[in-house]
Amino acid sequence: MAAFLEDVKIIENICLGSRYYLLKVKSEKIIKEIKAGQFCMIKPLDNALILRRPISIHNIDKENGVLEFYYETVGKGTKELSTLKAGDIINIQGPLGEGFSINIKDKKIAIIGGGMGIAPLKELIKQVNKENKVVFIAGGRDKYAFEILKNINFKNTIVVSDDGSIGEKKNTVEKLKEILEKENINMIFTCGPHIMMEKVAEVAHKNNIYCEVSLEERMGCGTGACMGCSIETTKGMKKVCKDGPVFNSKEVIK
Amino acid sequence: MNKLKTNFCGIDMKNPIMTASGTFGWGKEYSDYFDPNVLGAIVLKGLTLEPRKGNPGTRIAETPSGMLNSIGLENPGFEHFKNITMKELEEDISTNLIVNLNGKTIEEYVELTEKIDKIDRIAGIELNISCPNVKDGGMAFGANPKIAAEVTRKVREVTKKPLIVKLSPNVTDISYIAKLVEDNGADAIAIINTLLGMAIDIEKKKPVLGNIFGGFSGPAVKPVALRIVYQVYKAVNIPILGMGGISSTKDAIEFMMAGASAVSLGTSIFTNPLLPVEVIEGLNKYCKEEKLKNISDIVGILHK
Repeated sequence: MAAFLEDVKIIENICLGSRYYLLKVKSEKIIKEIKAGQFCMIKPLDNALILRRPISIHNIDKENGVLEFYYETVGKGTKELSTLKAGDIINIQGPLGEGFSINIKDKKIAIIGGGMGIAPLKELIKQVNKENKVVFIAGGRDKYAFEILKNINFKNTIVVSDDGSIGEKKNTVEKLKEILEKENINMIFTCGPHIMMEKVAEVAHKNNIYCEVSLEERMGCGTGACMGCSIETTKGMKKVCKDGPVFNSKEVIK
Repeated sequence: MNKLKTNFCGIDMKNPIMTASGTFGWGKEYSDYFDPNVLGAIVLKGLTLEPRKGNPGTRIAETPSGMLNSIGLENPGFEHFKNITMKELEEDISTNLIVNLNGKTIEEYVELTEKIDKIDRIAGIELNISCPNVKDGGMAFGANPKIAAEVTRKVREVTKKPLIVKLSPNVTDISYIAKLVEDNGADAIAIINTLLGMAIDIEKKKPVLGNIFGGFSGPAVKPVALRIVYQVYKAVNIPILGMGGISSTKDAIEFMMAGASAVSLGTSIFTNPLLPVEVIEGLNKYCKEEKLKNISDIVGILHK
């Protein structure tokens, strides 16, 4: 599979409240190859920022040639990105990494997203929902973290929050356990804070359910060249940017 | 006629552009963006005798116009390199391959050199005695003039391949060490390895890097690297492989004017994966504009 460098025009870059943004760009090359769970590296415009920012793919709209990225402003790079407007051109590199397993049929799948971990799950839900039954558990810190759900627009979504201000007052792992008591889930896909994914993976392993987790590490190159994002796995050292970010949970979580 | 053709310490290269070790993986990671065979040489990721896992995370921190890394020489070790990596490389790579070689002890440097010496396809050795991210060997060797001389001499005894010794900028008098290394058999000097630095996360009240310190690279280090190339050029009679923050053709020309016969591109490839192609094209254009017979005409021009 090829990866490209592409200058893309911003169609929309809207704030969904607080620090959360939805970016839409017009792509010709990357859009043809990119899959759920993969990511792109976005080049900052400020020359003092020398590393590209890895941002996961949120939605692939092949019909209109539009790629969507959902991101949070956490540092200088993403803050700069948030100031860009429709019509601005940015350079993106991708598709990068290994995404989720999407060639699945006739399974019951629990997809669990926590906070920004919701980002890559829209495309995943779209891909696997056609031939499987999906339940989506979305957890987040505050009400703004759930604004993105309007863009996902998936009916079988269960919202949980720590303080109960939105949805049920539970965490995602408790909700997953509750679902497992009632339903025969065959697969779990998750993305979110590391501790949440660890707990999800524990539940999956205990119940003998196949589970994929999407990891996050600081990256330098995005191509597997610098080994800045290497992690220890049961199959030796692996690079989150190249071998992941999606891994079989048994490889990375004990 | 190819005006970029360069012979760097016995290695025939189509141009003086290489990739800095550790920034270009095992030679093929950037193949989606350009053909690595356009490079004069590829300097491979740091290799050790035994496999190394590298340092614990976090391994990367960004700073203004630069980055810190504490990778810690993660690599699969010589046996894997010889049996798997080299075979994969031989399928697709026709340009020069240079091994960046590391050891914990002088004996290990020598043993690995002997093994590398037997691989015909390797055009040269970059002896890394300047990695700031490992406890044993690395910078500790390069910063000690006596050991730097000894390891160079002992490695020289066991290989006829061109020997490029990569030095650390984290010393008081790099020219002195460069001269000692030359006197003990180095064919070329590679400068600079990264500067030792650190970054702090004020929210967590902890150093950002798992290893606390890391190697500082990127455009921010260029003035320091240029100064060192200039200084070392005066001190030695062997060619210099210059590197440190090169992110444009202009930067590469500056390094050559200061005294580098060839240059390595590193961190800036992360920002711009097409940088090597752009610099090669840029140097060609420069030769035409300046009516040079060969790019080597500008090497060390500042000293003339």
